[in-house]
Amino acid sequence: MKQKKRISLLLAVMMMATFVLAACGGDSGNSANGGQKENGGTDAQQEEKLEPMTMTYYSADSNANWVNMQDAVGKKLTEKTGVTIQAEYAVDGSNQKLPLMVASGEYPDLVFAKGDANLFVDAGAFIDLTDLIEEHAPNIKKVYGDYMSRLKWSNEDEAIYVLPTLAAVDHEALDAGGTFQIQHEVLKELGYPELKTVKDYENALKEYYEKHPTIDGQPTIPLTLNADGWRIMISVTNPAFIATGVSDDGEYYIDPETTEAKLHYKRPEEKEYFRWLNHMNASGLLDKETFVQKTDQYEAKISSGRVLGVIDQEWGFGNATNALRSAGKENRTYARFPIQLDESTKDATFQDTGYVAGWGVGITSSAKDPVRIIKFLDYLASEEGQILMNWGIEGEHYNVVDGKRVIPEEVQERKTYDNANFTKETGIGLYNAIFPRYGDGVKDSTGNYYTTNFPETIKENYTPSAKETLKAYGVEMWKDLWPKKEEFPVKPWGVAYNIPVPSDSNINITYKKVEEITRKRIPEIILADPAKFDQLYDQFIKELNDAGAEKMEKEYTELVRQRVELWNS
Amino acid sequence: MKAVTEREGSVQPATRKKKKKGFWATFKEQKILYGMSLPFIIVVFIFSYLPIWGWLMAFQSYRPGRSVFEQKWVGFDHFVALFTDEKFYLVLRNTLAMSFMGLIVGFTIPILFAVLLNELRGSVFKRTVQTISYLPHFVSWVVVAGIVTKMLSVDGGAVNQLLLWLGIIDQPIQFMAQGSWFWYIVTGSDLWKEMGWNAIIYLAAISGIDQEQFEAAKVDGASRIRQIWHITIPSIAPTIAILLIMSIGHLISIGFEKQFLLGNPLVVDYSQVLDLYALNYGLGMGRFSFGTAIGMFNSIVSIILLLIANGVFKKFTKQSIM
Repeated sequence: MKQKKRISLLLAVMMMATFVLAACGGDSGNSANGGQKENGGTDAQQEEKLEPMTMTYYSADSNANWVNMQDAVGKKLTEKTGVTIQAEYAVDGSNQKLPLMVASGEYPDLVFAKGDANLFVDAGAFIDLTDLIEEHAPNIKKVYGDYMSRLKWSNEDEAIYVLPTLAAVDHEALDAGGTFQIQHEVLKELGYPELKTVKDYENALKEYYEKHPTIDGQPTIPLTLNADGWRIMISVTNPAFIATGVSDDGEYYIDPETTEAKLHYKRPEEKEYFRWLNHMNASGLLDKETFVQKTDQYEAKISSGRVLGVIDQEWGFGNATNALRSAGKENRTYARFPIQLDESTKDATFQDTGYVAGWGVGITSSAKDPVRIIKFLDYLASEEGQILMNWGIEGEHYNVVDGKRVIPEEVQERKTYDNANFTKETGIGLYNAIFPRYGDGVKDSTGNYYTTNFPETIKENYTPSAKETLKAYGVEMWKDLWPKKEEFPVKPWGVAYNIPVPSDSNINITYKKVEEITRKRIPEIILADPAKFDQLYDQFIKELNDAGAEKMEKEYTELVRQRVELWNS
Repeated sequence: MKAVTEREGSVQPATRKKKKKGFWATFKEQKILYGMSLPFIIVVFIFSYLPIWGWLMAFQSYRPGRSVFEQKWVGFDHFVALFTDEKFYLVLRNTLAMSFMGLIVGFTIPILFAVLLNELRGSVFKRTVQTISYLPHFVSWVVVAGIVTKMLSVDGGAVNQLLLWLGIIDQPIQFMAQGSWFWYIVTGSDLWKEMGWNAIIYLAAISGIDQEQFEAAKVDGASRIRQIWHITIPSIAPTIAILLIMSIGHLISIGFEKQFLLGNPLVVDYSQVLDLYALNYGLGMGRFSFGTAIGMFNSIVSIILLLIANGVFKKFTKQSIM
């Protein structure tokens, strides 16, 4: 009996021990991962360079093509720098994980926080990079050049916490990707009509729809939008200011004279745009499921080739475009035009913003060896690094012919038609949000472009139908249809949507409320009986004001003015 | 089984009467049992009680990365903000509505299903039905939401096609765009997904019923309905009571996956629930204190509900979990 008792006592003790050990085991595992050697010895520089190091990285953007650096460029990068990036990407492109990360106080070494960098800065989680850049990163300095002053955090705190990486330096948008899209097939059949206003657009969709009520046996959908989550901004609300001659400042409209900020829905012009959408719905041209469908359904519909028109950015339905191409329905992909509400305005998409610093990566206080990380980023920002990231490996993904970098035809073909797999295998373009770099249209020391996008390649990569459409309109690129950037003044605040808002400010709460009201009311207004439109719209604006919009606009105006001061000092 | 309980029942009072032991005496006698349960108590303590320390945050204007002493104390500000927010009452209404509907339907149907399934004769058929019915439980809500939206779509959705074909309607119905229907759609899809799974526990309880009782009833000439009513149902009543009490405790925290995935801008007034509100207005915006205040409210209401349910059941059925 006693024997038995002892055994059970032993068992109990063992169980407890297991628990304790399990807990400890987890700990030691972590520290072994994160705590790579901390030797800052200068004489061991050369050795240190190749000593393997794992850098953890979190990105608030999603990235479906990440293969743990097992792609060609990734392997090369590890070989050159000894650094392996252990990356985690947000699943749905939302930022919900960031606040949790801040609350836990444990961070990856490098974080791409999108609009939420302020959370990290306020918590003291991002370290000041000013001295690190000065001492260890000549290439990064060179890339930013005169724009270094735009990296400063605020008027009170002039430290550099974030290396802006989302926006490339001196980037020129080479082609237009938005906003009013219409199938090549529709244009062809209608004899390439002139498309200047939403009325022209509507008539084109309507005419074709009446002729072809079904496509491939399924009902034709004249126009659809994507209102799933944040996409409602891209496809439903942003087009309201785009179609009324204003460039993108997020949810605000900034008066260029007074730098006064107000919610862009309040502009009377935009009310008319929504009236047009309301009319499209009332006349049966707008897809009935517009506001209930999810992104996958939206893409599935477009992939079936029976959606004549879409109001969205090109990247918003990229998967569908690829599907159409692989299915041989390339004539059902889309042409785009700078369509306006009426002829009194012109599309300001290409208005010059200067270098838009802002979203980018920050090194966190958890990073054991910030010097090594900044050196790694500096390598990426070097000419060699940037070419590797953009072009791939010489002899494999590109060749140098007569001093010019040329992409072999079969590589280009895969890149165009099988982009997802191509990216996974080669890693080209996969690392772009991590390091500061030059944008399209900038040339390196050999006179070649840094990026693979330059007017010539874009023109080459148009599909046959696109070429045909462009020819019919007498231009070479979509962008040629748009007003040039020289036609507009430079915006001194860059873009308003990446002005950081202090995290304890009420702006955020009001903004959230405004956002919810907008996402609820705009669909309602568009689907309403046209007779009730005015009443509902006025009610919507009143609701915004009741939620505190006016106070928020005042505070935001202040932030815009501070930004103008900071950047232009 | 029965015999064993009876014997224990008769022995125990006798021993207890002999000497009334103090706590320490019992403890000494059962120290091994105590020792064996200790690890679990520790786990419960670490994961369920230790975090309550964080409730302090609800009374502070919490900023991450600072110690407790550096925080600013704001008293009940966050609770005031919560209870004066109209939105809070809206999401509370939605939460309670959907959880009550879920409770009523999600409770009665699985019991009914289990009882009916038990009456089936063919064991192969019975097992097949059972397996098929609980499979949806393992399907993720993301997929279920996709299926539901597709089924109810106006663009070739099966339900609309069927109704059109039967001539009941002549225009496809936009099921997903009707705010007032949202609760029913959620309840319905939840039922489809969880019915089979929830029935398993009742099936298990039913299979534990002594077959002799049924035989005796049959000899007495009881019909099948009578057998169900007088034997099956009363035998599984304790299981039902316990599960009911527990689900009442969870009434207010129903998660948000289904509402989030099935919702769309047009039904947002009916689809937002408390958990989503806490996420959007609390954590999602870095307002840790506000989020904590919502969490506290949530926990306190849950405990009250649980205690009430338990008390009521104790009174009327002598069944309770505490």
